[in-house]
Amino acid sequence: MKRTACASLILAAFLLAPAAAQKSTVNLPLRFDRYYTLAELNEALQALRNAYPDLMTIEEVGKSEEGRAIMAATINNPKTGPALAKPGVYVDGNIHGNEIQGGEICLYLVDYLLGQYGRNKDVTGLVDQNCFYIVPVVNVDGRYHFFADPNHSSSNRGLRIPVDDDRDGSTDEDFPDDLDGDGSITQMRRRDPFGQYKTDPEDPRLMVRTKPGEQGEWTVLGEEGLDNDGDGRINEDAEGYVDPNRQWSFDWAPEYIQGGSGDYPFQAVGLKSLALWTLTKTNICIGWSFHNNGGMYLRGPARKGLGEYPSQDVAVYDYIGKQAERITPGYRYLLSWRDLYTTYGDSVEWMVRYLGAYAYCGEVFQRETETFKDLGEKAAAASGGEAGRQRQFASMVERIKYSDNLTQGEQYKPWTPYKHPVYGDVEIGGWVKMSSRLGAPFTMPDLVHRNAMAVLFSAKHTPDVGLDVFEVKKLGNNLYRVRTRLVNPKAMPSMSYQAQRDKLYPLDQLTVTGASARVVAGGLLTNADLDRVAYKKYRPEIQFLAVPGFGRVEHQFLVEGRGSVTIRYVSRHGGTVEKKVEF
Amino acid sequence: MRHSSRIAILFIAAALASSLAAQTFDRYHKPDELNAAFRDLAKANAAFARIHELAKSPGGRDVLLIEIGPETGKADKTLPAVFVAANFEGTVPLAGEAALFLAKQLVEKPDVRKDKTWYILSCPNPDAAARFFSKPLRVAAGNDTRWNDDNDEAVDEDGFEDLNGDGLITMMRVKDPEGAWIPVPGNPRLMKRADWAKGETGIYKLVTEGLDNDKDGVYNEDPPGGVNIGLQFPHLFKFFSPGAGLWAGSEAESFAVIKFVHEHREIGLSFVFGAADFCLSPPRGGRRGDADLDRIRVPERMAGFIGADPARVYSLAELIELVRPMVPEGMTVDESMIAGMLDLGAVVNPLADDLKFYKELSEKYKDFLKNNKLDEKRLDPPADKDGSFELYAYYHLGLPSFAQNLWTLPEFKEEKKDAEITPEKLEKMTKDEFLALGEEKIEAFLKSAGAPPSFKAKQVIEMVQSGKTTPAQMAEMMKKMPKPPSEEGADPKEKALLAWSDKELSGKGFVEWTPFKHPTLGDVEIGGAAPFADSTPPPAKIESLLAGRVPWVFELAAKMARVGIGRAKATALGGGLYEVEAWVENTGYLPYPTAMGRRNNRIFPVLVTLEGPGIQFLEGRAKSSVSSVGSGDSQKVRWLIRSEKPVKLEIKASTRSAWGGRTSLDLGGVK
Repeated sequence: MKRTACASLILAAFLLAPAAAQKSTVNLPLRFDRYYTLAELNEALQALRNAYPDLMTIEEVGKSEEGRAIMAATINNPKTGPALAKPGVYVDGNIHGNEIQGGEICLYLVDYLLGQYGRNKDVTGLVDQNCFYIVPVVNVDGRYHFFADPNHSSSNRGLRIPVDDDRDGSTDEDFPDDLDGDGSITQMRRRDPFGQYKTDPEDPRLMVRTKPGEQGEWTVLGEEGLDNDGDGRINEDAEGYVDPNRQWSFDWAPEYIQGGSGDYPFQAVGLKSLALWTLTKTNICIGWSFHNNGGMYLRGPARKGLGEYPSQDVAVYDYIGKQAERITPGYRYLLSWRDLYTTYGDSVEWMVRYLGAYAYCGEVFQRETETFKDLGEKAAAASGGEAGRQRQFASMVERIKYSDNLTQGEQYKPWTPYKHPVYGDVEIGGWVKMSSRLGAPFTMPDLVHRNAMAVLFSAKHTPDVGLDVFEVKKLGNNLYRVRTRLVNPKAMPSMSYQAQRDKLYPLDQLTVTGASARVVAGGLLTNADLDRVAYKKYRPEIQFLAVPGFGRVEHQFLVEGRGSVTIRYVSRHGGTVEKKVEF
Repeated sequence: MRHSSRIAILFIAAALASSLAAQTFDRYHKPDELNAAFRDLAKANAAFARIHELAKSPGGRDVLLIEIGPETGKADKTLPAVFVAANFEGTVPLAGEAALFLAKQLVEKPDVRKDKTWYILSCPNPDAAARFFSKPLRVAAGNDTRWNDDNDEAVDEDGFEDLNGDGLITMMRVKDPEGAWIPVPGNPRLMKRADWAKGETGIYKLVTEGLDNDKDGVYNEDPPGGVNIGLQFPHLFKFFSPGAGLWAGSEAESFAVIKFVHEHREIGLSFVFGAADFCLSPPRGGRRGDADLDRIRVPERMAGFIGADPARVYSLAELIELVRPMVPEGMTVDESMIAGMLDLGAVVNPLADDLKFYKELSEKYKDFLKNNKLDEKRLDPPADKDGSFELYAYYHLGLPSFAQNLWTLPEFKEEKKDAEITPEKLEKMTKDEFLALGEEKIEAFLKSAGAPPSFKAKQVIEMVQSGKTTPAQMAEMMKKMPKPPSEEGADPKEKALLAWSDKELSGKGFVEWTPFKHPTLGDVEIGGAAPFADSTPPPAKIESLLAGRVPWVFELAAKMARVGIGRAKATALGGGLYEVEAWVENTGYLPYPTAMGRRNNRIFPVLVTLEGPGIQFLEGRAKSSVSSVGSGDSQKVRWLIRSEKPVKLEIKASTRSAWGGRTSLDLGGVK
C-alpha cells in the first residue's frame, strides 16, 4: 500500500503541477466528446453554478475515505417554490471508481437542463415543476485514482478501505505495477511452446487459444505487475476491496454471502453521508444510478428472496423502463436479480426502500457497438443463431479494427518486450485503461444525451396531484356535503406501493378545517353515483390516502357549520394543494 | 512530575478505590451512575483500566466502555480480548449491575486479567435504561429517537398516562360487547381469553393504561421512545418492524458498538448480560434458511464445471471434496467458498460443530449453578431475538457468543391440594376413620371439594359424630357439588408473578383491579402486572444473584482457544538441506475459530513464519498460514530449507485473538 501510495503521489504531483499552471481545460459551453477527471468535473460544476446562480446550487454532502468532497448539485427554481415542495429527481454516477461515464451523464444533465431552460418549453416546465438532485461522482476516491493511477478498465472499482485480500496480515500491499510506465495496466505474456495461446492468424496483435494437439506459442501471465510482498504471488492484494454498491444498509449481507460488502453496512463514511443527505430530500420520487456497462436499465428487487414489488409499482417500472429502451436503442430494461444477478446492499434497492422512490440502475455503454462492420454484417450477428453468436464473440478482431480506424489505435497497446525480474523476457501489451468499458470519446455525446433523456422521461412522470371540489351540496340546516377529487395524470403515484407496504412514512393527508365548521363524517367516496362512502370513525376531518398513477381518489365530507372550510392536501411526493369552499 | 504531586495522586486514587470498594450492590444504578462508577474505576486504576467513549445516545447520554487488562492503552494488542456487554434492550437493570460487578471483580482479581484484555460495555442503550428510574414506570426498550409509531401526521403524540397515580403503567379492563377476555375463574386477578369451546363469552377489552390523546380510537400507540438497540445488529435484522429502527446500525449507539468490535479483532469471545441465555442452552436452531446445507442441489451450469450430478443432493462436506482437486495449488476450499459459489445465503442455525461446545458447556454451567445453589426451577429465559448482538456475534463475527440471563421468576408450584381424601375414599371410610383425620385435614378437604365457605369442618365433625350423616352420605353429596373453579387458561408466567409478588413483594408486583372513571371509556378497572416485577428482583437480592452467576464468564474465558506451537523439529538431509516441521496446536478448549468463523471467513488464519539468517526456502514459504485449529488438534507446517551454516531458526505462530506462540530450533544440534 505504502509504496503504491508514494508512487501515486509522485505521479499525481507530476500530472497535476503542469495542469495547474496551464489554463483550465474546462470552458463553457462544456464539451462532451471527452472524459473529465474528478478535479475537472468539479470545476465544470462550479462553472455551471457561476453561470446559472438562480437555478443551481452545489454543496458538499460528505467526505470520502481519503477526504475528498462528494459534491451534489441541486437544480431548483426558487421562484416556483422551495425544492422540497416539488417532486424530486435524484441522479448519481460513478459509484464504481472505474465506471466513470455516470459522471459525464450527470454533468450533461445539469448542463442541458440549465442551458435549455427558457429555450425549450418542456425543459422549462421540468425545471419549474421539479427539483433535480445530481451527484455526478459517488466514489470520488475511485474516480480520482482511476485517472491518476495506472489501471485497466475494470480495476479501481472499490472504496479506499484497506482489505487484506490474501489474508497475510498486511493490507493492499501487492497492487499491479505499471511496468512499462504508460499509465495503463495491460497484460504480460511470454513465449512458450507449451502455452495455451497462439497468435491470431487474423491479426498478429491478438491471440487465440490453441486447439487440442496444436503447438502453443504464448503463455498469458496476467496483469502487469511484480510480487511486491514476496509471497510468491503477483498482484494478489490490490486496493480494497469493499464494493461501494454492496455497502448500503438495506438487505446488507456479510462477505461470506455477498463478496465486497465490507465489515458492516455504511462502514464507508462517504456513502453514509450521502445516504443521510438523501434522506433529508423527502421529495425524491425517482432515482437513477449510472454504471457501466452492458446497455441495461435494471430495476429491483435485487434478490429473489425479497419478493416482487407490488404489481402497481411494477406497472410504473414497466411504463418508464420500456420507454427508456426506445430512447436508448440496444439497451434492455431488465429485472436485476432475475436477468443479471443477485446483489445484497446495493444503492438502487436502498433508494426504493428508504426514499420510497422508483429507482433504476443504468448500465451504460455496449462493447458490441465498437465494431468495424457494415450494417448487413451487424444484422446477421443480431439475428442470433450459432453463426451470429460466434461472430459476436469473435469481436476482438472487430474491436481492434475499430480501434485502428476510429481511434487511430488509441485503445490497444501493441506488445513490447520487457525484462521481468521473475518471469524474465516477457511482452507487455493489450487493451488500455480507456477502452473496453469506456467508449471512445467521440461517441460520448450520444451516450450522455440519450441517457439524460431517459431520466427526463421519468421526471415527466413524477406525481402531479390536483385537487378538485366537485360538489358542495346543502343537505339541511347548516349541513353540507362536500365531495373532493384528487387527480394525478402522471405514471407515478403520490406514494409508491412498496413504501405503503413498508409503512415507510405517513400516507398523504387530506384535511377539512373551518373556523365555524365541523366535519361530522368523512371518508372515501367509493361510488359517487350510488353515494357509497367508507366513513372513517375517528377524526373524519383528516383522511389518509395515496393518489395512484394515472388515477384519482374521491372523498366525501359532511360538514356542519357556516362560513367557509379549507380543504388541504399534503403529500411528500405529491406536493401541497389547498382549496377554500364557501357555504 | 514532582514527588509530592505523585503522592497526592496516589492518595486520591486510594480514596477513589476505597469509595468504590465500599460500593455495594444493594440498589440499581441509573445509567449516569453506572457511567460515573466506570469512570471512577478507570481513574483509580489507570495502570490497567481506561474508558472508551463510544457514542452519545439521542437522549444525550454517554455510551461508555471500560477496557481492563495488561495492554490497556496500547493501540496494537497482542493478547486476545473478551467483549462483555450488558442490557442492550435497556429493560434488564440487573444486567447493568452485572457489568459493574464484573468490572469490580476484574479490578480486585489480578489473576483473571493477567493474560487478556476485557472490554465491558455497561449500558449500550442508556435512554431506555434510564426509564426504569422514572415515573410512571413502564417497560420500553426504545431509545430517545423520535419515531412515528402509528404513522399519522404527528410524532410521539399518544403516550401512556398513569391514571390511577400509582406510578406504574398497568392495564385497563373495560366491559365491552366485543371484549375477548374474562377473569380466570380460579384466580380472578388474572385474565384469560374466553374459550368459546368451553362455552365462555368474553366480557372485557384489555387496553394499556392511558388516554387516547390523538383521538384516533387507539390507546397509547405512539409513545415517546424509538429504537431498541437490542434489535439493531445486522444478523437477521428485521426491516420495517416495530422498534427495530431504520437499519442495522442506524442508531449512534449500535453503530459505535459495531465499529468497535470490528476495529478490535483481538476479541475472541463475546458475552452478553441480558434476557436471552446461551449458557443454559445453545442459540436457537430450527430456523428456515435459504438453503438446507445437508441437501444442496447444484445448478446445472455449475454441475458440469465441478463434476457434480445436478439430479442428486450433496452435503457441504461432499461438495468440498468434489471441488478440492479442481482449484489451483495453494488455494483452500472451505465451506465459505462453496457456500459463496452456490449462493447458499445466510447461515441461520448454529452449525453442528459449534453445538458440541455449546451443549457441553451448558451441562457445565448447570453444575456451576448447582454448586452456587442457584439451580431451583425458574421460568425459561426469553428466546434470543433476531437482530440481537448475541446472534450477530456468533453468525457475523464468528465468535463463541454467550448470553446470560441473571434472573427469571421462580416457577409456580401448584400447591399440593390435600388429595388425601377424595369422595371415592370417603365413601369407604368408617365414622372413626373419618374423625381420626382431624379438623385441619377435613377443612382442607372441604375447601378443595368446593364446599361453601360457610360449611366448616367443625360442623361436619359434629354431624358425623352425632350420626346425622355418614361419610358415605357425605361422599354422595360431594360428588353432586359443582366443581371448584379452575385456574386453567391462566398464563403460567402471570401465575408465577402473582405467587412471587404475594410471597416476596408483599403484593407490590401485581396491582389489584380497581375501578376508575375513564374520560372516554367510562367505567374501567385498572390493574395487572407491575412493570419490571417479572425481570427485576428486589435490590436486596442483587448481590447474591450476581455473585452466583457472573463468575461463569471467567470459566468461559479460561476456555478460549489458545494457539501455540507444540512440537518443532528439523531433520538434516545432507548437503545443507533440512526438513523443518512444526505443529500448530490449540491447547484451549474452544476451537480456533468456531465452525461459523470458518464458514464466514472472518477470523484470520494463524500466520506461521519461519526465519533464520541466510536460509533459502526450497519448499514452503517464510510466511504461511493455517486456517483453523480445533481444540486438542494440531496442524503440521512443513518446510524444506537450505542453510550453509548451522543457524538458529525462529518459528512463530501468530493470531489476533488466540495468543500464539514461538519456538526456536538450532540447526547446529540437528543430525
